Amino acid sequence: MKKTLPIALGVMVGFYALAEFYVPHWKVRWLTTEFQTWAAIIGAFAFILGGVNLIQVNYPKIRRRERDWQYKIVMVVAAAVMLLAGLKWQKLLGTPEAGTYAITPTGAPAGKALVRVNAPDDVMVQAGPVQGPAVNRGEYTSLGFEAVVDPGPVSIKVYRRVGGYEDYTADVTLAAGAVVTVTADPPMMWGTRGRVYVWLYEHVFAPCNATMFALLAFFVVSAAFRAFRMRNVEATLLLVSAIIVMLGTAPIGAWISDDLPEIKQWILDIPNNGGRRAIMMGAAIGAIATSLRIILGLERSHLGSE
Amino acid sequence: MRSRILLAIALGAMLAATAVAQPDPASEPAAPDLPVPPVAASPEPPPKPVSPFPAPDPKNPGEQYAWWIQLGRPDSADSTDGKHIQIQWERRYHGKPAMLLVFRRPVLEGETPHEGTGGVAITEGDAFGAEFTAGNLSTRDALAPTPHLGKPVPLAGLVLAKDMDIGVWKLVEIADSADGKGSFVDEVLPGTDYVYGLVPATPGADAGTIIGFPEPGVQTWVVSAEAAWWNGARWFFLAFIAVTGIAFFVFARRAKTRGKDMFIRRIPGVDAIEDAIGRSTEMGRPVLYVTGTEEIQDIQTMASLLILGHVAEMTAAYDTELKVANLFPLTMVVAEEIVRQGYANAGRPDAHRPENVMFMTSEQFAYAAAINGMILRDKPATNIFLGRFYAESLMLSETGFVVGAIQIAGTAEFTQLPFFIAACDYTLIGEELYATSAYLTREPTLLAQLKAGDTMKLLILATVIVGVALATLGIYELGPALIP
Repeated sequence: MKKTLPIALGVMVGFYALAEFYVPHWKVRWLTTEFQTWAAIIGAFAFILGGVNLIQVNYPKIRRRERDWQYKIVMVVAAAVMLLAGLKWQKLLGTPEAGTYAITPTGAPAGKALVRVNAPDDVMVQAGPVQGPAVNRGEYTSLGFEAVVDPGPVSIKVYRRVGGYEDYTADVTLAAGAVVTVTADPPMMWGTRGRVYVWLYEHVFAPCNATMFALLAFFVVSAAFRAFRMRNVEATLLLVSAIIVMLGTAPIGAWISDDLPEIKQWILDIPNNGGRRAIMMGAAIGAIATSLRIILGLERSHLGSE
Repeated sequence: MRSRILLAIALGAMLAATAVAQPDPASEPAAPDLPVPPVAASPEPPPKPVSPFPAPDPKNPGEQYAWWIQLGRPDSADSTDGKHIQIQWERRYHGKPAMLLVFRRPVLEGETPHEGTGGVAITEGDAFGAEFTAGNLSTRDALAPTPHLGKPVPLAGLVLAKDMDIGVWKLVEIADSADGKGSFVDEVLPGTDYVYGLVPATPGADAGTIIGFPEPGVQTWVVSAEAAWWNGARWFFLAFIAVTGIAFFVFARRAKTRGKDMFIRRIPGVDAIEDAIGRSTEMGRPVLYVTGTEEIQDIQTMASLLILGHVAEMTAAYDTELKVANLFPLTMVVAEEIVRQGYANAGRPDAHRPENVMFMTSEQFAYAAAINGMILRDKPATNIFLGRFYAESLMLSETGFVVGAIQIAGTAEFTQLPFFIAACDYTLIGEELYATSAYLTREPTLLAQLKAGDTMKLLILATVIVGVALATLGIYELGPALIP
């Protein structure tokens, strides 16, 4: 029973997924979307298990002081910090109001309206078509942001230059002569769009990621050196093709001979493209066969223990 | 060597087929001009004329406008989901460059909308007129010229935009209709009746502005989106799968009679798995298994997990430590169950260590760094990389090479195959990855699948040869007929 039920479910869902591809009816698509939502929920639960697995794997190694155990502390602490930074604390603790505004009917130049913003120095303001920093913009005062706009609806957006802060937006309708005074201090946010998370991502994770990616160049050189050694006929062909393609791509290739770029293109378009398509066709048939094995319940090793 | 030459010829033929099957557009015969659809004689499929005007009479300018409109299921079978309506139109006597505004409104309960042509009544303060914004064109008498045509629009500042509400209408398309023809697929709510209003307008200097209505508009009949239960454009895919399934059952039947004598060519990379695990056992080092960098619904990840069960069984039998690295937690959960089952199958459930099936991280290069660190610290004697890989493939395999591990890789991601071939001892190329699980079981019914796959490849080869022949003869219609 422990295997029969999953197999039956797998067969049913598998055939549904196969049939769904051929049925455009919106009711079927709606059901598919529902299934996908279920899968996303299951996937979200799996992340909790992933976190538990992370502790299960690393904590014993830290406790036993296994080799490089210090790095595991860094890893666990980093995971915990990102988790804490990724939580929306403002939902729990509340958040200060981003800003307020008040409108006075007079004070603006004749036939115009005036937007006045009081905000910290590192804040930017967008008032209708006018954009600028929140300091030293005023024609009527030396501090704060001021903009003369046409009467009518005006959208005023106050935001910080860096990400991770809540924007303040006020949509107001101003009559001629009216002055709107906005007082805003966009508060820091938490969560995956919050300041701490964004800062850690941009200043710690992204550089590390780029460093790893940059290492790829050295791995390519090392692998190419071994692959291009002339051990046999195939490796020699590979070497010759690679030299032609590299020279044909670089400007020096055209300088050596006008034919090199054309030969390079021929290698890419004809033998390379043909081989690529052959692999793709074979792989597609293999994927169909594997899918059929699973859908028909013939392949069972992925179903786990009895 | 001969087989390689044959392969090269086959590949060349395949390539020639694809090259020939993509003719130079300039050499293609010109598509016949779409005849101006006469109102009386309907083109194929027969259109439903909104207002069958008689032949134009120059003495009566009111008769000089005629429309051909078709409403219904979209041409694209993918959009026949019951949430799309296709509108095609052609104005028979379009005189001036114009844009066409397509409006839509739901039909009210108990309402019987009038279909026919008419104008939008320009009134002070409302470019489209009160009657239009309330739901109808200003006149339904097609033969009577509307006196306001061509007059400037009073709302000069009006900027039109898609999805704009004008009275009860929603502006769903602003089409360039200078040639009088056009079509548009509109997304609507299923099961709701709609009428459309098509209003020619003269564009202003600025985008979205209009300066007049040069011709009468037209209001259509009531229409609702029709849903289809069969996507005819995909019949070829279903036929292909059906043929694969039939071939599978034929070979499965044959496999039952022949047993395990069915010939399957050797896959050196798969044969090497057991040798590599044996080497790990002799060296007392673990086996590292990486399930790729895609989620579990990816077929390559599934293929990798299917092979993992066999590898786990072997490592359990050899009493060798198996470490499994996963990029996604859901893959980790399934992999853990599979490894547990593998150890149970080998009669060593006690040897299974759940903490050896690890979720690393969901970030690609952090994952690569974590596995590289594991390779450098644990120095596994065998690295098995099976599944879908991207740029990290070479990082992993080169690091494995540095520590002297036997490396077996397999992927159908052709951009990464060269890296694996350069850095690993054995590489399962494309379909071999999918064949491995069946190959390892040696179960006749599963081996029959491999034979069925080979049959399909022969079929494809025959199709390519036929395609080359047809293309050489200048016949190009077969491809679009099979896959519209």
